[in-house]
Amino acid sequence: MTDDRVLRVEDLSVTLDEQPVLQNVSFTLKQGEAFAVIGPNGAGKTVLFRALLGLLPCTGRVEWRRDVQIGYVPQRFAIERSAPISTMEFFLLQSPSFWRPSAAFTQRLDQELSGMGLDRSILRKPLGELSGGQTQRVLIASALLEQPSVLLLDEPTAAVDAGFEETVYALLHRVQMERGTALLLISHDLSVVYRYAQHVLCLNKSVVCQGTPVEALNPQALTALYGESSFYHHEH
Amino acid sequence: MHAAAHSSFWIALLVGIASGSIGPFILLRRMALVGDALSHVALPGIALAIIYHLDPFYGVVVFLVGAAFLVFWLEGRSRVPPDAIVGLLFTASLAIGILMIPNEDVIESLFGAFPVLGLPLLAGILGAAVVLSALCFWLAKRFLFLIVSPDLAKVHGLGRGYDLALLLIFSCVVALGIKLVGTLLMGALTIIPASIAKNLAQGMRRYVVLSALLGGAISVAGVWVAESFRFLPGPAIVLLGVAVFAASLPFARRGMA
Repeated sequence: MTDDRVLRVEDLSVTLDEQPVLQNVSFTLKQGEAFAVIGPNGAGKTVLFRALLGLLPCTGRVEWRRDVQIGYVPQRFAIERSAPISTMEFFLLQSPSFWRPSAAFTQRLDQELSGMGLDRSILRKPLGELSGGQTQRVLIASALLEQPSVLLLDEPTAAVDAGFEETVYALLHRVQMERGTALLLISHDLSVVYRYAQHVLCLNKSVVCQGTPVEALNPQALTALYGESSFYHHEH
Repeated sequence: MHAAAHSSFWIALLVGIASGSIGPFILLRRMALVGDALSHVALPGIALAIIYHLDPFYGVVVFLVGAAFLVFWLEGRSRVPPDAIVGLLFTASLAIGILMIPNEDVIESLFGAFPVLGLPLLAGILGAAVVLSALCFWLAKRFLFLIVSPDLAKVHGLGRGYDLALLLIFSCVVALGIKLVGTLLMGALTIIPASIAKNLAQGMRRYVVLSALLGGAISVAGVWVAESFRFLPGPAIVLLGVAVFAASLPFARRGMA
């Protein structure tokens, strides 16, 4: 794989319970690029992510660059709420030492926390008692801890309060610019796609369109993707 | 104090700590019942060892390790509900064990006794308990990651091997305690300290440490009670543990039960 490609996907298909969920999906993710995946509910967006991460069996080719470091922010974080785990301990799951974290780790954690607009006091709270928005920000901060070269975000603002949505995208944009992190994100919000993504992939079980947002998201493609109601989306 | 009581105190302390160390992970994986039933599998092992004039301990180890692999295999097959199979199989082995074990050994096999052990076997049991406790603390982060979010854990390269490790450590801890506590009650010894600690501890690290300490303390206290009042050690330990659990209930943290 040439150096600026972080991920190459060729003819990826997923079948669950004998039903085809994804068919012949192909695309390339370049280093430092923001790549959006859009599509209606049930189009297979989350399935695509899970297949890329090796969490689901699939056919076709998924080729990550050899030295790739992947950060993943799942859409729904089904945490085991009975676990008496504090937010600090959740971060410590990524520390080399769970029992006695190093000063370097704590320092990096402080950085990522303030980047996500979170106060240190959140570390003492039980993970299960955080609000949806707080959990989401904790998840993003935790995915950034290991300085990933690619960040996979499954609707990163689904549970975040409306006011904070912009902040999350602005922050992710900064991470992309400053650290050269490639962003692969599932989004429902076409205005976000227009503003931040360099590449968009429209998915409805198979690829409906792909390219830069301006060239790919034409009225025909959006109708094919969402049906007639897409004209509403196009108003953005 | 006679020699059997001496070795019982040491087994109670170190195997109790090992039980308390693995317990939180078994409890959080919602395997408490499977774990409890798993200890019954030891019974046919005891029976075979008695028939072939071996120390029952070796039969127990072989059968429990085998059962750990069986549970692991069943869990990997998503189409089979493992609970029912585990329940049936393990209860069946209890029945088979009872039929095979000579009458005079039945009570001891089920409820434990003050074991009379040679020094090498005693040292082996105590050494293994220390190693297993250390393993629990060393693997705690990975076990916890797989409990909190299996998907994220897999992305971080943690596979099902750790599920097997958890089951094997659990089986070995149960095997170590069976002579003292008995096949029917040993499973409970791993669950009780973890259940008490869960009511009291904030944060996972304190939870595991507290559970380990409680495991040791309750077992030693149970052996002391049994020794003083001439009870069997297994029921004394388990009843003492249940009493401490009841006392801890008012402290249970809201939403964490």
